[in-house]
Amino acid sequence: MIPVTYRASFSYLLRHPWQLVLSLIGIVIGVAVIVAVDLANSSARKAFLMSMDAITGQATHQVIGGPLGVPESVYADLRVEHGIRQIAPVVDGSISIGGASAQLLGIDLFAEQEIRGFTGDVRSAETDASSLFVDFLVEPGVVTTSEHTARELGLAVGDTLEVSAGGRQHEARLVAVFPDDGNSGLERIVVTDIATAQEWLGQAGWLSRIDARVGDGDADALMRLEAALPDGLQVLSAAGRTRSTADMSRAFMTNLTAMSLLALLVGLFLIFNSVNFSVLQRRGLIGVLRALGLTRRQLLAMILIEAGVIGLVAATFGVVFGVALGEQLLDLVSRTINDLYFRVNVTDVSIEPFSVIKGLVAGVGAALVAAAVPAIEATSYPPQLALTRSTLERRAGRVLPLVTLIGVAGMIAAVILVLISGSDLVAGLTAVFLLILGFALCIPLVVRAASTIGAPLAGKIGGSSARMAVAGVASGLSRTAVAIVALAVAVSATIGVSVMVDSFRGSVSQWLEQTLRADIYTGSLREGAMDPALIEAIRKLDGVETISTRKRASLEDANGRTQLRVFELPPAAFDGFEILDADPAEVWLAWEHADTILVSEPYAYQNQVGAGDRLTLPTDFGPRDFRIAATFQSYDINASAVTMSRATYARHYRDDSIDSLGLYLADSADIDSVIAAVEALSADGPRLYVTSNEGLQTESLRIFDRTFVITDVLYWLTLGVAFIGILSAMVALQLERAREFATLRALGMTPVQVGGMITAQTGVIGLLSGLAAVPLGVVMAYVLIKVINRRAFGWQIDMTVAPDILGVSVLFAIGAALLAGLYPAWRAGQSQPAIAMREE
Amino acid sequence: MKLFLYIGVLLALTPVLADEAAEPPSRLAELLASDAEGFARATEPRDFVFPADHGPHPEFRNEWWYVTGNLDGDRGERFGFELTFFRFSLAPSADPSDSDWRTNQVYIAHLALTDGEDERFLVAQRYSRGALGLAGAEAEPFRVWIDDWRIEEQSSGDWRLKADDNEFGLDLILSASKPPVLNGIDGLSQKSADPGNASYYYSITRLETQGIVRTGNRDYSVSGLAWLDREWSTSALAGNQVGWDWFALQLSDGSDLMFYGLRLDDGSQDPQSGGTFVSTGGIASHLGRSDVEIEVLDTWDSPEGGTYPSRWQLRVPRFGLDLTITPVIADQELFTTVRYWEGAVDVSGSRDGNSIAGRGYVELTGYAR
Amino acid sequence: MPGTPIEIQLRALSRRFREGEREHVVLDGLDLDIQQGETVALRGRSGSGKSTLLNLVGGIDAPDAGTVTVAGVDVTSLTEHDRTLFRRQHIGFVYQAFNLVPTLNVADNVRLVLELNQVPAVKASSRIDKLLAAVDLADRAGSFPDVLSGGEQQRVAIARALAHEPAVLLADEPTGNLDDTTADGVLMLLDKLVRDSGRTMLIATHSQHVASHCDRVLELHNGKLE
Repeated sequence: MIPVTYRASFSYLLRHPWQLVLSLIGIVIGVAVIVAVDLANSSARKAFLMSMDAITGQATHQVIGGPLGVPESVYADLRVEHGIRQIAPVVDGSISIGGASAQLLGIDLFAEQEIRGFTGDVRSAETDASSLFVDFLVEPGVVTTSEHTARELGLAVGDTLEVSAGGRQHEARLVAVFPDDGNSGLERIVVTDIATAQEWLGQAGWLSRIDARVGDGDADALMRLEAALPDGLQVLSAAGRTRSTADMSRAFMTNLTAMSLLALLVGLFLIFNSVNFSVLQRRGLIGVLRALGLTRRQLLAMILIEAGVIGLVAATFGVVFGVALGEQLLDLVSRTINDLYFRVNVTDVSIEPFSVIKGLVAGVGAALVAAAVPAIEATSYPPQLALTRSTLERRAGRVLPLVTLIGVAGMIAAVILVLISGSDLVAGLTAVFLLILGFALCIPLVVRAASTIGAPLAGKIGGSSARMAVAGVASGLSRTAVAIVALAVAVSATIGVSVMVDSFRGSVSQWLEQTLRADIYTGSLREGAMDPALIEAIRKLDGVETISTRKRASLEDANGRTQLRVFELPPAAFDGFEILDADPAEVWLAWEHADTILVSEPYAYQNQVGAGDRLTLPTDFGPRDFRIAATFQSYDINASAVTMSRATYARHYRDDSIDSLGLYLADSADIDSVIAAVEALSADGPRLYVTSNEGLQTESLRIFDRTFVITDVLYWLTLGVAFIGILSAMVALQLERAREFATLRALGMTPVQVGGMITAQTGVIGLLSGLAAVPLGVVMAYVLIKVINRRAFGWQIDMTVAPDILGVSVLFAIGAALLAGLYPAWRAGQSQPAIAMREE
Repeated sequence: MKLFLYIGVLLALTPVLADEAAEPPSRLAELLASDAEGFARATEPRDFVFPADHGPHPEFRNEWWYVTGNLDGDRGERFGFELTFFRFSLAPSADPSDSDWRTNQVYIAHLALTDGEDERFLVAQRYSRGALGLAGAEAEPFRVWIDDWRIEEQSSGDWRLKADDNEFGLDLILSASKPPVLNGIDGLSQKSADPGNASYYYSITRLETQGIVRTGNRDYSVSGLAWLDREWSTSALAGNQVGWDWFALQLSDGSDLMFYGLRLDDGSQDPQSGGTFVSTGGIASHLGRSDVEIEVLDTWDSPEGGTYPSRWQLRVPRFGLDLTITPVIADQELFTTVRYWEGAVDVSGSRDGNSIAGRGYVELTGYAR
Repeated sequence: MPGTPIEIQLRALSRRFREGEREHVVLDGLDLDIQQGETVALRGRSGSGKSTLLNLVGGIDAPDAGTVTVAGVDVTSLTEHDRTLFRRQHIGFVYQAFNLVPTLNVADNVRLVLELNQVPAVKASSRIDKLLAAVDLADRAGSFPDVLSGGEQQRVAIARALAHEPAVLLADEPTGNLDDTTADGVLMLLDKLVRDSGRTMLIATHSQHVASHCDRVLELHNGKLE
């Protein structure tokens, strides 16, 4: 049975459901955002790891090659000449089925015995297993997939389907499905014979890799395998490859987590606000209980237990809501990961107990922390029946300087942390939080000053009720401060993120304009090569003066993956590279003849290299040293990269494939007609993209914007929390001051006047929050751009502050506050004058 | 059950095809027996041309290179070995493709070693598609291989047989001491009454063999005699054939005897049973079912189920042969997906009253339960 | 009544409050003995320090100088925590504004004190029944304070103040919020219950009428008793 004491306290909340609900909402949203981001991150990562696990199977090592992969003859040699058996060839790549992306896994059934074991009991329309086997091996285009994937794609065994791969459409037949066994690692994996995979992906003669199984610690077997490989091929640990791929997205995920924490931080203010109120409002009750003999410890326990219970209930709702939200975020997260890092197919959030626990702990913890401050304060009251409001405000006023001092110290600590933490991302994010908290603590003092100064002014302009409205902000600071701070932090976050994204976008746009020098760009849609004959035909088109070629390749060695860009450039394109740390003339002199490379700025930052350094890259002839001629500015959104000339590439790689072209037109040429001509030339072949310079810029920016959609979503949620905070504060304030309003009504103010005063007050709160948010937002943007983005991605961004972002944010703060004030204003207007006279 | 199951299914075909009537007709057998459309059939005698016919005949559905032999170590150790390459066409032809992996050819190999001293029987198998040089067969120079298991012609004209598994391995040089002999009617071996249910079948019944046998870490220098059976067909099965007993015996007087008895489901022997007697000089004589009398003297119960005959009295009155055939060890059963018995045997007895000895290989299918 | 033990003893009791720069002396070296079972009225104008004195006796507030001994315990020497426990056990309060817990019904308001004193539930229930009967509210046990009249609320407050059988009852203008007739009734009840149980009571009031019910009347003036 719940003791009477607790009932006395709790039923207060039950009698003020509005307040209870609002304090719940703060926690619910905060926890939901944390859980959602955590689940989306971990689900994406887990899906990737599981699918790698399923795909890798029992393979402990993988033989990888150069840009084109591993020559298939190497595989035959390993088996026939070297008698190496525990190996299996793999040809894999992206395909799409009716618009849904999937991964094609081409395998040789005969080699699979000791490598993969994921297909389980196949279910086929043909009960005859041998004809199934024969079909799989002999019939082109025969595929199998997991039951779940088949269901998701609306396919049944026996169906024929259109598969888009390598820029062409192919006919496939689903001959069997295998159960998932709850193993979502097989999501969107389509298994086919290696021959079909080579045909579809245009990889005849090449394997994506060779999977190998080497007994634990069997160094001899590993050495035998390595010794049997020609130059340019390497054996890497499968687990290591998976890990380094998964880790590529770590910075992105860390940033998301930080943003979710921001939502909780704002939520924390809100919770603090609610709990603080509920304690303040019960100071009469607390006085009675203390007089009746409730000890301080009992009182503290009572408040904290109450906060804990509320926190737990709200956090539970938050988790449920978070899982739902996570489903939505997952789509955004996986899309960004696909755009930026690696292929991951994930459709369902997997509910990680750890994420759930994190959310619950965060929710309950936040509630306890938020309650601790008012609880400790409440227990320090002498057990007299009621402290007067003015005493409370005096107390609040007395601690203000101290709070401000702590705030300043926090900001100084943030600056120091940035200065000493080198390139550590987590330290950078910690500094951001310190900065926000520190600044937040300074806001109340500033607000008091502003409202004290502003009140007489307001009085002159709008009369005594305006004066009361403005002065009310300062005199009710013990209640309004937290709401103001919460709104200011939320708005500043939107300013910070908006300015950052805006600056980033500006830099990218400018960079695109500079870098993209050709008039038309065309290339294969996926990473496939263009038909050489087509390239020649395009070169000879009327109006085409010269072309540049590009090849994208991924080099990999034990240290991880390096994105390589191979260019054959006309001199006109040289200006497109902004060389940062060398004399451009010398750079371009050495470009084709010496073994030099250029590195992008993010690459240089992440790997701590620059002009003059040497870099070892795996080539088809084994590892080779290349001299870094220069660092160039780049916002290549796919990955940071190393760039080399076609001539240099040709000396080190047996690959003459080209995946895209830049067309430089004669002055007289018409861009649209050349585009039409290119499209006509390629009509029969694999689909190409053909776009004007302008079109490519637009498309690039569209992808850029897409990667920031998730950012938008998160800060809208943060604002939502802040909005609830204002609403909750105003409702509580209205309850608190019910008698005061009633008195005003008794004195002859109309409901409209009282409501108007409340509205004016919330408007002032919004204005002050908005104004306070501006400097914090700008500083936050600066830190996000110069510290966080730099550390996370290596990008150098020019910061530009668009005044309209600031203006809109302030207006938004006012609007949000006014909106939140509507209901409390209406309620205050409804105050019955009689209440004032009833008691005391 | 795994994807690998498919391979198991294919392996299940192996003994069926190899032994033609090893199992009661399964759906798989029916599949292969019923739809031979598009494949070549063995309907009439053909001209055998060597070495071309040592190579593959992909227009037929299945084919094998079957080498068995008995070897002596230089310290008197006793070994028997089997290395068989099976080839299957999964479809009459392969689709044209850019991919070298695209094929209709599949190869499977069985390797077995009978260790008479330790009374051990060791088995290993390989399989691969016949593409990309991973597995295949060629006539000139002769070569058949899967991965690093192979039989290949040396510059001397001898064949080298090399196959190694974890537990054991062979590296042998085989030198034919007799020319190929054509079994059946000029090499057309009718297996059941239906026309086309027949194979092309030739043997080299005596190959001088020497080389190395490895078990575990031990190498043995060995020498002895091997036997090659070559057969290709598209369909040979009949629904009422339940199994067969095949004898390949090399006798001390230099003559060799091959006989296969096809067993029907009513317990009788199919009239198409038959064999070949090869004289010391290499002259082949066809044997009909009535030329050979076989009496089972003993049986062996497989621990996995089924009772195999395990000792025989074999008489060929036409050539004065009265032979007792005894397995070197009783358990020479292969645990591929469908089980069969294939093992080294010792022969003793008389020819025209004079005592004679010999060695050989016996294959027994359709007994496993 | 010589020989009766002293229940409340104040010695040289002083209490000052700071109000900005100014110091305001509320109690100035007060001495007082109150015997067990005595009812004493404390009179004085608003702000004369009546409530402060009650708070000091009840252990709610601590003096700047002097000692308070209640039921033989030197309250001023106790820590805040021990004072709370002492108060819980030995003091009952009745306030002008009743100060019932609005979220608890009548019975639970009384039960609250018993629970704090860890009175077993069964015993507590019977005592609540008896007390509510004594204050003539047996039929309102389940009602919440907001539906009770002022007089009824104060009767609940009296029941609550006596529930744990405290040695001393402190009442601060117990009839201040009530009309005369109701006030009379409440006063009679209070007087009867206190006297019947032989408890000591200190009533702060500026009402002559209230004071006339008491054994002794003290005037508090300029921080001193007269």
